Amino acid sequence: MAPRIEQLSFLIVDDYADMRGVLRNMLQSFGVTDIDSVANGREAIAHIESKRYDVILCDYNLGDGRDGQQILEEVRARKLIGVSSIFVMITAENTLLMVMGAVEYEPDSYLTKPFTKDLLAQRLERLLSKKSDLREIEQAIDGRDYERANELLDQRIAENPRNLNEFIKLKAELALKAGAYDQAEAIYSGVLAQREIAWARMGIGKAYYGNRRYAEAAQVFQGLIDGNERFMVAYDWLARTQQALDEPEAAQKVLEAATAHSAKAVVRQRALGELALRNRDEKVAERAFSQAIRLGRHSIYKHPSIYANLARVKAVTSSGDAAMMVLRDLKKAYKGDKEASLYAAMTEAVIQEDMDHGERARKCMVEAHELYKELGTQAAPELALDMARTCNRMGETGRASELLHQAVKNNHSDELFLKEVGATMGDLGLAEDPHAMIAGITKEIVRLNNRGVELAKLGKLDQAMLLFEEAVNGMPGNKVVNLNAARIFMLHMNETGIEPELIAKVRDYLERVRQMDAEDRTLHKMQRMLNQLLQK
Amino acid sequence: MKFYDVLASLIHDMKNSLSMVIHTLDEITADPLSGYDQPARITALQNEAKRLNNNLIELLTLYNIENERISPAIEDVDVANFLAEVMAENRSSAETNHINLTVECDPDLFGYFDENLIRNVLNNLVGNGIRYTRDRLLVTAAQEEGYLVFRVEDNGSGYPERMLTAHSPEGGYGDLAEGRTKLGLYFATMIAEMHRNGEQRGFIRLENGHGLSGGCFSIWLP
Repeated sequence: MAPRIEQLSFLIVDDYADMRGVLRNMLQSFGVTDIDSVANGREAIAHIESKRYDVILCDYNLGDGRDGQQILEEVRARKLIGVSSIFVMITAENTLLMVMGAVEYEPDSYLTKPFTKDLLAQRLERLLSKKSDLREIEQAIDGRDYERANELLDQRIAENPRNLNEFIKLKAELALKAGAYDQAEAIYSGVLAQREIAWARMGIGKAYYGNRRYAEAAQVFQGLIDGNERFMVAYDWLARTQQALDEPEAAQKVLEAATAHSAKAVVRQRALGELALRNRDEKVAERAFSQAIRLGRHSIYKHPSIYANLARVKAVTSSGDAAMMVLRDLKKAYKGDKEASLYAAMTEAVIQEDMDHGERARKCMVEAHELYKELGTQAAPELALDMARTCNRMGETGRASELLHQAVKNNHSDELFLKEVGATMGDLGLAEDPHAMIAGITKEIVRLNNRGVELAKLGKLDQAMLLFEEAVNGMPGNKVVNLNAARIFMLHMNETGIEPELIAKVRDYLERVRQMDAEDRTLHKMQRMLNQLLQK
Repeated sequence: MKFYDVLASLIHDMKNSLSMVIHTLDEITADPLSGYDQPARITALQNEAKRLNNNLIELLTLYNIENERISPAIEDVDVANFLAEVMAENRSSAETNHINLTVECDPDLFGYFDENLIRNVLNNLVGNGIRYTRDRLLVTAAQEEGYLVFRVEDNGSGYPERMLTAHSPEGGYGDLAEGRTKLGLYFATMIAEMHRNGEQRGFIRLENGHGLSGGCFSIWLP
């Protein structure tokens, strides 16, 4: 049973005091008593951090500071509200969602101003019953327990409910998330056989992409854009696909077209900047990075690398001094942040070197090495590439090569990233045949992993443990190796009982993976395994 | 600043003002303690404010269509739920105008259309209907001849003969300045035609005496 509206707690976010009053009156007329209201994003986040709200009614347009979408992104990404909370975005103009439309996080519903209190009540009732209908499934998905979610979905689909398509859509999305691309493709094809519908067409494109059928995927995304030139998500996926097809120039053109339609997405501007930078199109890169910084000031998608890249571009398009100004902004925006300091140090080293300030450049480099070491496994993979480029420019070719080798070892299963490592090796002239070299390293790691798993299967857990412990020490930043090591250690304790020392190691491995990719599905499986083990 | 940005931001501002006007009037009529004893004048104000709002939406939507800033986002929509919301949006307005507003729809009906665009069209039709009908308005949705058909019917005096024959795009829309109804027709036609499925295209139809005795406006979506 869905809860009744009057039992719920509400947060109203609107910069107009009058509008806040109107909304409060409406809610009170439904019998709601637990109502807080705030005027801007900063207050909204502070309230949501300290209290769990059932429903957030948030105006999109909030003047300066965060807009409604940025509040939504922040509270969902930081998991400040649970899956059962309802986020309603209030907009003045209903074409807005098409204009934005590229977003990872969508509100549960949009309401267009002005609306009557009858409509608000009707909408809230509908959202509540939908939430309670999907509660178990959403909770399973949120906990990355995809098997359970799938079971629940199959049960519901077998009942042939009136909103059958809703469940089918969820099931297909789940298949995509779980990497079951053939299954996803089959589901979407079934829907499309009934009728052409954009979400299913989009889904089939993603399934092709997942199965590395890039040419077909590109065709699907292009078709969607031809059918609706404001379908922003299709642009992002088309650009991503073209990158996978080694067509960075075409990808840049696509993102330029997308940003011309809808300039607001920070992530898209950043992606465009990075592509343009790779394509040596500094003019486009400069504009895109500047936009990304301006738009991203209050967004969870702001990132120090955007500043660093803008500084690099400015050093080319205007001057070293202009670049240094950007780095000052970077330090101001991220006081005390190690990753940001590293970006600043690396970038400054090169800029100073280019301005023939050798001594200052070397000082920056020393700082960069120090920070990189301190970050350890917390350093994002891309940092290794930047660091390698920087070392190479400073004449430390040995270190550059070492960094790239380690990057391969730490990310042996991430194909797109390996592609970038290869490109960097090629650019820097550090390997004659980067692809062959990368393939050699990854093959070795796969063999090692397989041998460990094989040993475990044969019951030789002691040997498997030794092997993975060594592997983890050699590749502390490798997700797969960390997860395998954690698993083997837990299998061992399943048989012989809890050993505090080993538990601490398992926790360590899982924490590393969490820092690298909190969304990793195997990570959640291992965490459940650890909980079960500790409950024994 | 481009004209569109000016337009959008002005409309945003106007809608905030209108929201305040509409909500304040709602609160006055709903609150017996406000001591206002001329509900007919409040109702007239409410009607005009709603009309202004519908006009603003039409204006912005037509501008968007003309400049190809808009494409329909066709989704699968739970039609009964959708109509329940349209009813909720217009219920208080119908009540204060003493008009019996009802809906008929198969609770299991699902349709494929752009919810926001069709909502605007229906709100316009219901808003006009409230002014022209005698005392009843009926909104229906059904699957007919491969189309999803929305009808808004009244028991007023019906559409004049020349409108029944001249509303087709081929027949032209006459002088748009001639009246709001024609602008409304143009708006509905544009939005119906934006809905396509394969070779099929949406359209509108005007009739008299379909279910109720007055006019019947239908939107056919493939």
